Amino acid sequence: MSIDYSTGPILKVEGLKQYFTTRGKYVVKAVDNVNFEVYRGETYGLVGESGSGKSTIGRSVIRLYEPTAGKITFKGMDISGKMDRQTTDVLRTKMQMIFQDPMASLNPKKKIGDIIGEGLDIHHMYSSKEDRKAKIDAILKKVGLAPEHYERYPHQFSGGQRQRVGIARVLIMNPELIIADECISALDVSIQAQVVNLMKDIQEETGTAYLFIAHDLSMVKYISDRIGVLHLGHLLETGTTDEIFDNPIHPYTRSLLSAIPSPNPELERNRTSLTYDYRESGVDYNKGTEHLISGTHYVLGTDAEIEKWKKDAGSTVLA
Amino acid sequence: MDVQEFIKRQEAIKPKHDEKILDIRDLDITFKTSAGPIHAIRGVNIDLCRGETVAIVGESGSGKSVSVKAAAGILAGNAIVNSGAIDFTYTDSKTGERVTVDILKKDTKWIRKHINGRRIAMIFQDPMTSLDPTMTIGKQIMEGMIWHFNTPKQEAYEKSLKLLEEVGITEPEKRMKQYPHQLSGGMRQRVVIAIALACDPELLICDEPTTALDVTIQAKILELIKRLQMERGISVIYITHDLGVVAKVADYINVMYAGKIVEKGLADEIFYDPRHPYTWGLLLAMPDLNTNDDRLVTIPGSPPNLLHEVKGDAFAPRNVYALKIDEKLEPPMFRISEDHYAATWLLDPRAPKVEMPEELKNRIQRMMEEADNVN
Repeated sequence: MSIDYSTGPILKVEGLKQYFTTRGKYVVKAVDNVNFEVYRGETYGLVGESGSGKSTIGRSVIRLYEPTAGKITFKGMDISGKMDRQTTDVLRTKMQMIFQDPMASLNPKKKIGDIIGEGLDIHHMYSSKEDRKAKIDAILKKVGLAPEHYERYPHQFSGGQRQRVGIARVLIMNPELIIADECISALDVSIQAQVVNLMKDIQEETGTAYLFIAHDLSMVKYISDRIGVLHLGHLLETGTTDEIFDNPIHPYTRSLLSAIPSPNPELERNRTSLTYDYRESGVDYNKGTEHLISGTHYVLGTDAEIEKWKKDAGSTVLA
Repeated sequence: MDVQEFIKRQEAIKPKHDEKILDIRDLDITFKTSAGPIHAIRGVNIDLCRGETVAIVGESGSGKSVSVKAAAGILAGNAIVNSGAIDFTYTDSKTGERVTVDILKKDTKWIRKHINGRRIAMIFQDPMTSLDPTMTIGKQIMEGMIWHFNTPKQEAYEKSLKLLEEVGITEPEKRMKQYPHQLSGGMRQRVVIAIALACDPELLICDEPTTALDVTIQAKILELIKRLQMERGISVIYITHDLGVVAKVADYINVMYAGKIVEKGLADEIFYDPRHPYTWGLLLAMPDLNTNDDRLVTIPGSPPNLLHEVKGDAFAPRNVYALKIDEKLEPPMFRISEDHYAATWLLDPRAPKVEMPEELKNRIQRMMEEADNVN
């Protein structure tokens, strides 16, 4: 299945703000005025350093947090404020989340089959015991596990297999949007590739959309159709993967891309990464507005900044 | 483009490889656990000379951390060294002579006094856990100097200020009084590096030094360690699973799998002329920034459990090129060039001729062209 841009976005985030108050005094603006859209069958990658708010966005979208301000629309329904019963049901089934650490996100006291079937139990999504078992077996097979794994416990699996369980538990709900929060960063390189391939296969088969949150840029580039670059809670630049990688405008994006290590020693040895320091750069993210560069490529900045950055980006070619 | 010619470029700039610092020979280690003995290291050989950087690459559980922990004399209590020797050569500060000791034969007390922190320093993955949260930055940098050399406090303080400047921390006077939680992750790792360098070690071991850091900071930390190494002429061992990190810093690379080194050589030889199927798999599993292949090439299965005795080649069950002999006999290290060795039966003259996957070949060709265009 390919991306469906005609029916409008499956997820639309407008002006999302997520503030946290600590000790009743300080306000941490974890996410500040973020806008983006995810279409059906698409993978939208959110990248940024730790503390940039990428995980917070994922959690606000699936309503683990109460958004401070802004509007989140999922399948045409407003899910940012108080939700009625029907909306809650749709949100809790059609939007699912895969977590980073598969050991921490699976209940060690439960059998794999029951972990996967929990969603079915809660939402009464089977007609008989046999139906439930059949559904779970089918999902186990789909993620590359065997039906005999049903009776086992999480500790009996390797890291890669556990993450397959995490994916199976999500898939059984037939979700239309999956939030994958750093779901491969705890895995070894060779296992990462297996899980990413599995995620791609599933997308092709079911047409689900992914909100892929990660800090590993080469993996994000590989899996995403569009990318959003976050820094200090602001979405600095967003566009298709090619737009971002071929023509990065924002100095932060440019420093991020210059830092990706490449497995090419003759090239790497003589290369130094670009430096970017927010405090010294004189850029105020709060003053910036979204500027359209081309197509779906937007950059956050003031008019003067955008002009300057465009010139800078044109003069130096990034490797 | 010819690979061999390309590799010669690194041979021209590689370190002299004379004054030996560390020589690990036939190291074999078992861990006693409640589930039974785990044969974690099965015959490892690594040598390192002055000013060189060696990287040990492998997946979790391959034994890369255990090997260097043995070298630093900080193995866990349930480890049993079955055989092997770890010869470490250092300059005696009193006589100025070069002294060679076998770390495995020395007791903990001696190692604490003469090796740990003083001649071999380590940088760990997560700076927050390797720093003491209750102690100021300054005290932590000065601690080693005062303990090892009885350095007067004032002198230690001044030296610490210099070290902080050297690792790129601004306002060192202010930082000396701060606590770890007041610094960012990248800053903390810089402090850890300053602590490691406080006693002028001859060997620096970096165990996944940038895994917990963000990409931009990762690049900066690697560049910092590289600069310090050049200035001070120390030797560095990197342990990592990230081949990108390795490409930037390493002179020599050891690829480890299931407690053994399966391929070793100059960095260029490993990246442009890999011979072991596991190395092929590792290189291919990394997404390439320049191609949009539909699928990543994966290594099927997962690493073996070393609780069970390995028969034949440990990688054989995951190896699509495995031969019959792989199930019975472990392959020896086959010599490819002066520095380049690989443990796979495919290099035996009697083996059928197997070439690396076409995809990898194309990718290497492209990487060489790219490097050519830039340099």
